[in-house]
Amino acid sequence: MPDLLLEASDLTKHYSVSRGLFKPKATVKALNGVSFTLAPRKTLAVVGESGCGKSTLARQLTLIETPTRGSLKIRGTDTATADTKALRRDVQMVFQNPFASLNPRKTIATTLAEPLLINTPLSAAERKERVEALATKVGLRHEHLRRYPHMFSGGQRQRIAIARAMILNPGIVIADEPVSALDVSIQAQILNLFMDLQDEFGTGYVFISHNLSVVEHVADEVMVMYLGAAVEVGDKRTLFTSPLHPYTRALMSATPALRKADRRERIVIHGELPSPLNPPTGCAFHKRCPLAMPRCSEEVPLLRDVEGRQVACHAV
Amino acid sequence: MSLLNIKSLRVTFGAFPAVDGVDLQLDKGELLGIVGESGSGKSVAMLALMGLIDPPGKVTADAIEFEGRDLLKLSPRQRRELIGRDVAMVFQDALTSLNPSYTVGAQIAEVLKAHLNLSGKAAKQRVVELLEQVEIPDAANRANAYPHQLSGGMNQRVMIAMAIACSPKLLIADEPTTALDVTIQAQIMALLLKLQREQGMGLIMITHDLAVVAEMAQRVAVMYAGQIVETGPVPALFDAPRHPYTNALLAAIPEHNKGAKRLSALPGIVPGALDRPAGCLLSPRCPRVQPRCVAERPALESGVRCFYPVEEVTHA
Repeated sequence: MPDLLLEASDLTKHYSVSRGLFKPKATVKALNGVSFTLAPRKTLAVVGESGCGKSTLARQLTLIETPTRGSLKIRGTDTATADTKALRRDVQMVFQNPFASLNPRKTIATTLAEPLLINTPLSAAERKERVEALATKVGLRHEHLRRYPHMFSGGQRQRIAIARAMILNPGIVIADEPVSALDVSIQAQILNLFMDLQDEFGTGYVFISHNLSVVEHVADEVMVMYLGAAVEVGDKRTLFTSPLHPYTRALMSATPALRKADRRERIVIHGELPSPLNPPTGCAFHKRCPLAMPRCSEEVPLLRDVEGRQVACHAV
Repeated sequence: MSLLNIKSLRVTFGAFPAVDGVDLQLDKGELLGIVGESGSGKSVAMLALMGLIDPPGKVTADAIEFEGRDLLKLSPRQRRELIGRDVAMVFQDALTSLNPSYTVGAQIAEVLKAHLNLSGKAAKQRVVELLEQVEIPDAANRANAYPHQLSGGMNQRVMIAMAIACSPKLLIADEPTTALDVTIQAQIMALLLKLQREQGMGLIMITHDLAVVAEMAQRVAVMYAGQIVETGPVPALFDAPRHPYTNALLAAIPEHNKGAKRLSALPGIVPGALDRPAGCLLSPRCPRVQPRCVAERPALESGVRCFYPVEEVTHA
């Protein structure tokens, strides 16, 4: 299907880490067989706690690393065989911390023009025109372009980072926690900007976040991850109205809500995320799960279709 | 008699007032939430109370009364005895607040030695008790661990154990869960509430997350640019906010915009050191601004600092 932007099937990434001089190397299974698709104008939200493999997934999607196993197709082209240079233009990234992701020695105009300089045959005047047009769209004023990153607030820097990602008009933008470093009122401005740009350019977003209320606002589809694997994948409305996987439910119930009506019954899960160096046998969640049964410690649950979404759990 | 009574606290760095006339009262066993965006002065106000503002920062106040004793009139020695024993604080980032070269047990024991003159076996025993109180599994062994060997959630528990070591009457928690994952955040919040109830502590919770305050606190103070702009009981303040800033903050949260395509965002950012307006500090961003707001600075009257408070809009 050429109209899909991204098709990932069974994406897996294992890292080999040194444990010391005389010990054998260990394998960290950061990503264990993740599959999904992304269509234009759609937003896939990836949700999970630290260590669940969200950022590893982002590194595979942006072609920064090659997966250990599995395949990734961008607009129908397999990344394992094709020339990735052309594909890279089409996948851009917005990072979490706008204080670290902009070069402090370059003016905003230089930062924004650099992707054009590298990837397009445009002349200096044409580049300038493109930069100015996009800067206005993301809410930067003309005089901002000659300034350096330290002269901007966090929200404005994130606008610059978004403009840099959008300047090549990519089909896909991977946003790794783009609003978690920002204050509430600024967060709303940036989320609006993301939505406006999607409406205008038809970009597909992979939106990585741990904040469920943000995800509920921006996503079309949601993938909940735990220790390198997807535990529940489905349409936003289905997932938020009736979460099935015990981890999804715990995550939703743990999110504080302003209004009494939005508060779910608290399901407290004990303990912490196990180490990906030494994951539990069977279901990765079974040691913290309120529904754990003997089968969960023996057999790894696979994603299967239940009530309009996919769940990986023996108990549902 | 109230536990804590702060009258017109000011903290200035050069000519810049980080905290500008803050009044706060807290009763025994009360839970007060202080919310605000970064730069609103919420942390600086509490650091000033703890005596942790270093020159060139200057702290002035009409009074900082703790159980009827004015902290400003105590000698530095008397004040040190009180702070850490009767008033304790938990910081945002546990890993950077703990000393990396000592075991967590030794660091808790240091508090016991300094304030209660406990040492040797008695101290060791109390350390294990405290670690058990904050629900750290296998407490006797974990006391010998170094901070880097523990997870973020565990380190935050150690910080809490240290803070409650001398059974303080007032605990200040400065963004205690911001660096933690949602499920761990729920565990830490439940722990703080449990300890507060068991020991009858006053608890001041500083956070930028309105939902956390809405779920936990009895009273809330909203800060903006160094001033309290609105204060009142929970949930009344969240159901019907009267200050335009509180109103805008609530409106910017995705939870309040269910189904809406765009979030309602407050334009602009918190004024910095150089661009403080002469009138109301919110006037450059306020949607309800009037000529009087630009000319004059409003005072905090019956819980709200605004000439034209919001009357009709409710978020219930």
